[in-house]
Amino acid sequence: MAKVESQGLNRVREIYKDRPRRARELKEEGKKIIGYLHIYPVLEMLTALDLVPYSMFGELREPITKADACLPTIVCPFLRSLMDLGLKGKYDFLDGAVTAHMCEVGEKFTHVWRTYIDLPYSHYIDTPHTTHAAAQKQHKEQLKEFKKSLESFTGKELSPQRLKEAIKIHNEQRALVRELYDLRKPDPPLISGTETIRVMVALMSIPVEEGNDLLRQVISEVKAGKTTTEKKPARLLVWGSMIDDTALIEMIESAGANVVMDDIWVGSQAYFADVKPTDDPLDGLAYRYLVELKSPRTFPATPVGLTKKVYPEDLEHRFSYIRDYAKEWNVNGVLLQTMRYCDIHGYEVPGLRDYLDNIGLPNTYIEWDYNQAALAPLRTRVEAFLEIIG
Amino acid sequence: MVTEQKKKAINRLQTMRPLRANIDKTYTRMVEASKAGKPTAWCMVNWWEADPILYAMDVAGVYPENYGAVCAADGIAQVHLERCDAEGFPNYLCGYARNCIGYAARLKDFGEVPPDAPLGGMDKPMLLVNSTALCDARYKWFQSLGRYLDAPVWTVELPHPGVKESQREGAYERDINFMVEGLREFIAFLEHLLNKKMDWDKLDETVNDFIALNRLWHEINELRKARPCPMHSRDFWTCMTASLYPGGDLKESLKLYQDMFEEMKDRVAKKIGAVDPEKYRLVFAELPPWHDLKIFDELAERGWNFVVESWAYHPPKPMDYSNISDPLERIAKQTYQWFTGYFKDALKNGEHMGYFAYPYLEFVRDYQCDGAFLHPLLSCRTATNHLMMVQDRLMQKLKVPSMVMEGDIVDLKAFDHAGALRKAEAFEEIMDNYKQARREAGMAW
Repeated sequence: MAKVESQGLNRVREIYKDRPRRARELKEEGKKIIGYLHIYPVLEMLTALDLVPYSMFGELREPITKADACLPTIVCPFLRSLMDLGLKGKYDFLDGAVTAHMCEVGEKFTHVWRTYIDLPYSHYIDTPHTTHAAAQKQHKEQLKEFKKSLESFTGKELSPQRLKEAIKIHNEQRALVRELYDLRKPDPPLISGTETIRVMVALMSIPVEEGNDLLRQVISEVKAGKTTTEKKPARLLVWGSMIDDTALIEMIESAGANVVMDDIWVGSQAYFADVKPTDDPLDGLAYRYLVELKSPRTFPATPVGLTKKVYPEDLEHRFSYIRDYAKEWNVNGVLLQTMRYCDIHGYEVPGLRDYLDNIGLPNTYIEWDYNQAALAPLRTRVEAFLEIIG
Repeated sequence: MVTEQKKKAINRLQTMRPLRANIDKTYTRMVEASKAGKPTAWCMVNWWEADPILYAMDVAGVYPENYGAVCAADGIAQVHLERCDAEGFPNYLCGYARNCIGYAARLKDFGEVPPDAPLGGMDKPMLLVNSTALCDARYKWFQSLGRYLDAPVWTVELPHPGVKESQREGAYERDINFMVEGLREFIAFLEHLLNKKMDWDKLDETVNDFIALNRLWHEINELRKARPCPMHSRDFWTCMTASLYPGGDLKESLKLYQDMFEEMKDRVAKKIGAVDPEKYRLVFAELPPWHDLKIFDELAERGWNFVVESWAYHPPKPMDYSNISDPLERIAKQTYQWFTGYFKDALKNGEHMGYFAYPYLEFVRDYQCDGAFLHPLLSCRTATNHLMMVQDRLMQKLKVPSMVMEGDIVDLKAFDHAGALRKAEAFEEIMDNYKQARREAGMAW
């Protein structure tokens, strides 16, 4: 009897529940699965060489029991969780891992991971911190090096043509994600924040073309009204550290809000910027992955000629896209969240709050620990915030 | 009645004191420059990437990281930490950063250096100089100071290649070119900001002085391999400031390091140790509890001599710069040498963290350490990320045990002084056992 494949949101839920399953199936079919961390590894190159990119996540519902031996408790709990899963053999289907300088702990994590998890292939992209001309050039050089290492691993040449085709497929996925996000603009949104996180997690667990098919099915189901959301007084944008599980968004939505937009890695950050077409595809990739991605880990270039920093202008330069999101998605509150020990987001909090206060957008800040138990006490704070804006 | 004065357990270097005094002058120099309308900067430790350029452009710099340690030792840090918390910054951020942010908020309140600021304080700067070396705080913290200061922020980049990636063909040249190009942009920025041209002859000389300073500092530290070790970590931490926070008169620092080198040679010849008797030789990782340095005196009374510290605060391995005519290239190569100088050996030894972690394996072997005192800092990921791995590697590869005591560089509530001393007693037995195990394994110490 032919196996009946589930579709759309049912398929999303299946993948979300058992992320490695599809990767293991593909591995059995002879595909090579490459884990990647954060939004900086250039996935187009993997796809162009028929490698399957697989986002490395933690598991906030699983206690950390092994990682304490190699990562101290005061570093990012998400990365500790990921390390823990690695040590427990839960990423044993990976043929390789690609990391980048996503943040300081992420960079150091690369070396610790390599020490304890031996994979046939690994590559680290030293993404520059600034966007100056020299940094952009350096980033392109980094990508050339990444290309070489992949060619050596696969024994295949990565031609500009194949890379351009892969860029097209990834850009298609980005456009589909934006289309899905557009469905959160109505009131009530056509798809909840919780369901959206599931879709994002699923997309990052399967090959990009499969993801595109899945997205089309999801969009069609959402448009057909197969998802239901209630109208609620609060329409929130959630900003901050990584979220790879529905727990936090579920808690916020069950407290009385619709999460209609985000500024997080497993969400808009990964999908809202396209790769521009360029003669040498590495130019477009280098620019997109260094300059256009929105993440506080990158320090915007200080122009030669600047003699005084004007605080409101600096905030405008760094955060105006959040105002634009808020306007387009008709957001009436912003929930800032950082995972404990997340420095790059932690330093942003007062500045972003100043910015939001100045534009009259109510906001609150919570800090959490990447585990479910940590969410219960935060619920009261979220409820109090929703009362204020409701 | 005449009482015999108790002999101090750590025999401090005499030459350490004038060196420290020279650096302490940095603060008054900066405040005076500021009052006189001369260019001033707050700088991150940048491992000599920006320092020579600032020197050559006559910018009086101070280092808020160093000021964090000063405030911690003075006790005022707690006031700054609380202020930073009140400003809405998460309390898990870097202790030095929180101290500085709290200080900057108060500087803004007072409109001038707060009256309780130790060492004359840090005045409002004309410029903030970031570095991307090692940690996020190094650039996020200065970015966040925009709330209190209107100084523009410049960021100097240091590439962070992986061990494996750093050894690929062309990687070295690519990274050096990147740094040199970045420094050229920095100079263009400074020339515009200060409305003056770079004095390239002065820069050339300054770069050479920095290279000479670090070479001498390296040689001083080489002498610590002697038994007994003539210089305790207390002196290292005091004196590293002349290299890491290079304020004051550079030529004077060079002379004072030379004096220190002579004193060290004399001690080695006469077998004078910093701790007598030297029962245990230890490595300290990473930064100490500045507010509780007396614990080292108490440990010295037990015969513990701290003979080496983290790679991060040591100078680069010496290399030949004589054929490099471009001072910017010499700058880039020195800083890059500091960061990647151990990478080749790390790769050879199958180690993936060529900075922070791998150098401990070399240090512990070369300085013949009996144990490691690991000090995870509750507010510093940079100094802590690798410590569990270091503990593991030291034991696996060298049969050297570690004692772990959590604490902080600024927050005095985080360190358990009595607990550390209790652990120390038990740790001596462990060090003795492993000394025996190393001998049985045919190791040299």
